[in-house]
Amino acid sequence: MDWRPGEPLQLETDRFRLRSLTPADATITYVSWWNDPEVQAGLNFPARGWDRQRAIRHISQFNNQTGFHLGIFCKDTDRMIGFFAAFPDPQSKVAKTNIVIGEKDYWGKNVVQEVRARMLSFLFEVMGMEKVKGEIQGRNYPSIFNYKAMGFTCEGVLRSDIPRFDGGRTDVFIFGLLRDEWEALKAPAHD
Amino acid sequence: MADAGLQTARQLLAAVLEMEVADIADDAGIGGLTGWDSLAHMRLIMALEAHMGAPLSPGNVVAIGSLQDIATVLAGGELSVTGF
Repeated sequence: MDWRPGEPLQLETDRFRLRSLTPADATITYVSWWNDPEVQAGLNFPARGWDRQRAIRHISQFNNQTGFHLGIFCKDTDRMIGFFAAFPDPQSKVAKTNIVIGEKDYWGKNVVQEVRARMLSFLFEVMGMEKVKGEIQGRNYPSIFNYKAMGFTCEGVLRSDIPRFDGGRTDVFIFGLLRDEWEALKAPAHD
Repeated sequence: MADAGLQTARQLLAAVLEMEVADIADDAGIGGLTGWDSLAHMRLIMALEAHMGAPLSPGNVVAIGSLQDIATVLAGGELSVTGF
């Protein structure tokens, strides 16, 4: 793979192109996801009230080395439908990831699994991670489904661990996938 | 009694997935039913909570992955969180 740490990253799946976002990608659509109560509820946040400048500051904090913020673009239309964030720690060799599908007509269309599978390959094979994990804050049932369907193990439930954005408290679910588990899961595809 | 619980689970899952009850096998689970996607899973958990009149436990929320699991939860059981 022709990529060096710190350089913008571009990856592809069958349907989507993932690439490091730049300030120019802080479009009205991108900003709208941060201000959409339904989208943000999945992250246990209320609508953020961001403007374009706030979105640019967010995009600019990722260094394409220990933090990636990749837009998810449809290959056929170049429409951006969401983003994938990954934080590989070179010391522990554990990467945290998060994904948001902002365009609701793509919910339930298997985007998360297709995109995450490509990112897993990058994180394990190129970044040398030994584990990839995700934390689900709140009862984000579609996210729980996607982790389960991809073979992640629920390593723990932190009961009533954080305040809910709309009052009360909520659980945090920790999902993890080890390198050898990932290699075993992908093995059948190479038979 | 166990058969009745499984049949209730089958009816609930069939309604969520908009399938015929008879098309849901005893060993149905995530990955084996094409309609069981992320949004269907959300509808399933919400339907279960509505049916039972109470939120599911955190463990059951994360562990449900099959028809048998649904029957267990409907019967008041607690699923194993890890190991799936």
